[in-house]
Amino acid sequence: MKKDLMDILACPICKGDLVLNIEKEDANEVISGTLYCSVCNEYYPIEEGIPNMLPPDLRE
Amino acid sequence: MVTIEHRNAKVKLAEQVYEPAEDSYLLADTALDLVKDCMSILEIGTGTGFVSAVLKANRNISLIATEISPIAAKCAKSNGIDVIRTDMFAGLIEKKQFDVVLFNPPYLPTSEDEKVPGWLNYAFDGGVDGRKDVEPFMQQVSNYLKPHGFILMLISSLTGIDEVIEKMRKYSFNAQVIASEKCSFEKLVIIMASATNNE
Repeated sequence: MKKDLMDILACPICKGDLVLNIEKEDANEVISGTLYCSVCNEYYPIEEGIPNMLPPDLRE
Repeated sequence: MVTIEHRNAKVKLAEQVYEPAEDSYLLADTALDLVKDCMSILEIGTGTGFVSAVLKANRNISLIATEISPIAAKCAKSNGIDVIRTDMFAGLIEKKQFDVVLFNPPYLPTSEDEKVPGWLNYAFDGGVDGRKDVEPFMQQVSNYLKPHGFILMLISSLTGIDEVIEKMRKYSFNAQVIASEKCSFEKLVIIMASATNNE
């Protein structure tokens, strides 16, 4: 995902802001990492450049 | 890998992902008539990313899409779409920032025994009346659409066109059919809807 997607993403549970943690990136985008919601204490994974914003119980 | 081409866009298909059909083409062509350069576009449930890819190939726009199926999300990504895996609007910040929201919902009335296995069911299953996803979409869309923005939604005569328009009015949207196409057993229509009270 491109970093400017951070302006659009929110925690799906509380709709609050997220903190981006990059594990792997190239010139264009974040390839893997996490998005963290401190209010819900929940991590959302970024895999193959796609942020997975499904709540943990619906993730797979 | 199968690739289809339409109006300058090349779109790769994938197993278990809805293959663009008459509905997708009608939405893509209608949207292309209305979407102008510099607009900010959101597509809900992009599937292969076909509609979004057609817009991006022909307009200078910013576009993001959501998709619940992991297989479809990956497919859309491979087609150059900035995709977020989420249920409808769930992972998006509540900000009225989009000029246009596009939605080709699962619109077929579907009973329990008509469901298809796996993620593909999300592409078809509109619930018993075909309008299962229309209600939550209309409930939420105003939180993301600019006051003067508009919705383009594709549905079928099987979904109940009057019922969907009625639902949109309930949420204070002006709604009208702006394009239609007869297919074998149904009529496909595009409904354009905009907020009646543009604060």
